[in-house]
Amino acid sequence: MTRIACLFVPVADERIKPALLEIALRHSPSVEDGGPDIVYLDLGGLERLWGGEEEIARRLHRAACECGAAVRIGIAGSRAGARFAARAGGDITIVPPELDARWLGPAPLALLGLGPEMSARLGRWGIRTLGELADLPVSGLAERLGDEGPRLQRLARGEDATPLRLWTPPPVFEESADCSWGVETLEPLGDLLAGLAEMLCARLRRHELSADAFEWSCRLANRTVHEGACAPAAPLTDSAAAAALLRASLAARPPRAAVEAITLRVRPVRVRNVQPRFDEPPRPSPRLLTATLARLSALVGARDIGSPVILDTHRPDAHQMTPFLLPSPRPSPQRGEGGRENRNPLPRRGRGQGEGAVLAVHRVRPSRSVAVVLHAGAPAHLRAAGLAGRIIAGAGPWRVSGEWWTEAPFVQDEWDVELDDGTLCRLARDGRGWRLEAVYD
Amino acid sequence: MVTSTESLPPPGWDREGLDSLLDAFPEGGLSEIVGPRSSGGGSLLLALLARAASRGGLVALVDGADSFDPETAERAGLDLRALLWVRCGGRLPPAWSAADLLARCPGFAAVALDVGTTWGMGSIAAPPSFGVRLQRAAAGNPAVIVVRAPRHVTGSAAALVVSVRRVRARWVGAPLRIRLGGLVSEARVLRSRFDPRLAAPGRAWLIEWRT
Repeated sequence: MTRIACLFVPVADERIKPALLEIALRHSPSVEDGGPDIVYLDLGGLERLWGGEEEIARRLHRAACECGAAVRIGIAGSRAGARFAARAGGDITIVPPELDARWLGPAPLALLGLGPEMSARLGRWGIRTLGELADLPVSGLAERLGDEGPRLQRLARGEDATPLRLWTPPPVFEESADCSWGVETLEPLGDLLAGLAEMLCARLRRHELSADAFEWSCRLANRTVHEGACAPAAPLTDSAAAAALLRASLAARPPRAAVEAITLRVRPVRVRNVQPRFDEPPRPSPRLLTATLARLSALVGARDIGSPVILDTHRPDAHQMTPFLLPSPRPSPQRGEGGRENRNPLPRRGRGQGEGAVLAVHRVRPSRSVAVVLHAGAPAHLRAAGLAGRIIAGAGPWRVSGEWWTEAPFVQDEWDVELDDGTLCRLARDGRGWRLEAVYD
Repeated sequence: MVTSTESLPPPGWDREGLDSLLDAFPEGGLSEIVGPRSSGGGSLLLALLARAASRGGLVALVDGADSFDPETAERAGLDLRALLWVRCGGRLPPAWSAADLLARCPGFAAVALDVGTTWGMGSIAAPPSFGVRLQRAAAGNPAVIVVRAPRHVTGSAAALVVSVRRVRARWVGAPLRIRLGGLVSEARVLRSRFDPRLAAPGRAWLIEWRT
C-alpha cells in the first residue's frame, strides 16, 4: 500500500526549497521535487525507522519549522491525495488509508488547479466539490470532455498512479589530499593538484558537466589556510589543461609555508554542445586556449592577461582588465525559433559602427616626467629620456577634471604637440609638473 | 592605388584605400608593419584588429610596452570583448614568447605583436630565429599574424612588409590651432609574397587617421 507525504509551502520561497528537499531526503530515500512550493516523499517502509505516520509528520513539521519554513503536511495514498490534503487541511492532515475519495469529497474543486475555461464549464454544470466531480458517470464525462474528463475525475478521487520522479542532490565536486609530511615546494604541490584535477574532470565527464571555475585551499603547517581560485577561458573537462591552469595559479600565488592538506573544488556547469556555424569564424579550442593562457600567465602574470573594460568615468586611461572568456557560439536557427541568440555571442559589427580610420593613441604607462620649456606660455621645447626636440606645433591647454566629490579628484591641463622630428604626443601638466601622457601613432 | 603626397584628398576618401590595404594582410602568413613612432603604424594595426573583430573573430594583442589604449580601440570599432590583451610592461623577451605562443593557438582571427613604442625597452632586437618560428606558426594557423615595430625584426620571414611614414599632422583651426585633428600617413608595401603587384614601385596608400 502506497503512502505519500506532501510538504506544501503556502508562500513559495526559493531559498527554503533546498532545505525542504534535504529534510525530505533525511527521512525517505524517495523524494520528488514537485515544483516551487511542493515536495513529495514516499513513506513506504518507514514505520520501523521513524514510527507511525503521525510521528513522521510531526518530525517533518518540526524540522521544517527549525529551518524557518511554515509548511503544511498532507499524507494520503497518492501524490494527488497528499497534495489536496496538504492544501485543504491544517498543519498536519492524514487521510486514512483507502479513504482518499471519501475524505477528499467535500474539498473544493479549485484544488485541481483547473484553467479558467474548464473551471467555468464545470461551474455551469453545478460541480463545486471534488466529490461531485468524482460521482459523475465516467462515460458521460469522457463524451463531453474527452480524455481530460476521466483524468480529472481520477484526480478528484485521489487516484494518481504516477510514480515519484526521484530527486537526487546535486553532486559536490571536491577532492582532497592529505600530506602530513608537509609539501614545501611548488612542483610536488602542482602534481598533487593535477591528480585531484584528473579525478574531478573524470567525475565531471561522467555527469556530462564541465568545470567553470576551480577553487583550491591549502592547510598550512603554520595553522593558516591559503586559498586561491582560477577560471578557464571556457568550461572544460580536460585534465591536462586544468592541471596547467592550476599550476599557473599556484605559481602566481604560492603558499608561504609547508602544505599539510589541499582541497580542490570545481564549479560545474552543463555546456550545451552547439555545432559551429559555417558563416562564423573558428574559435580556439577551450583546451588549447586554457593551456595557452596558463603559459601566458606564467610569462607575464595572470593580472596582465585579459580583456579590457572601459570604466564609467572621465578620468584619463580608466580601464580594468577582466578575464578573457570565449564567447558562446551562436546556435543555428531552429525551426520556429527564428535563430535565438545565445547568452553572450559577439555581435557582428561592420566598420561603419566604428569611426573608421582612427588615429591610435599609445599610452605611456606610467606617465613620464618631462622637462618643458615655455615660450609665451606655450610649450616650446621638450626633453625626456628617449624623446627630445623643439615643439613646432601644438594645441592646448585643455582642462580635464572630475571626481571632485571623491577623495581622489583629478585635474590636469593637456596639450597636443608636434616635435620637429615628427613625433605627435600628448603632454599633461598638473600639480606634479609636466608629464608625457601618450604618443600618437 | 597611386597617390601623391602633394594634394591631399577630401575627408572620407581613404575608406577604399584603407580596406584594400587591409585586404593585403595574408591569413596564414606573417606580416610586418614598420615605421617610426607617429607614422601611423599603430593606427594601421588597430584598423586591422578592428576589422578582424568586426567579422566575428577573436583577436589577440601582445602589447610590448603596455601602451594599448582601449578607449581609442573601441572608437575604432574594436569590440573589446573579442580582444585578448597581453601586457608585457616593457619587457621584450616575454613579448616574443607570448606572440609565439598565441600564433600556435589556432582560432584567433588575428594575432598582433606591438613593439612600436620603445619607451624603456632599449634596442628592439628579436631572437635570431623569431621570424622563422613565427612564420612557421602562421603557416599552420589561418590567422593574420602581424608584428608592428619601428624597424624590421622578422628578417626575410615576413610574407608582407608594409612600411609607413608620416606625411603631415592635421590641426584643426587656423591660424590659431584648436586641437589635433589627425595624421596623414603613407603606406607602401615593400614585400608581398602572395601578391607581388602590391609592392610595385610608386604604389602607395595615403591614409588620413583622425583623432
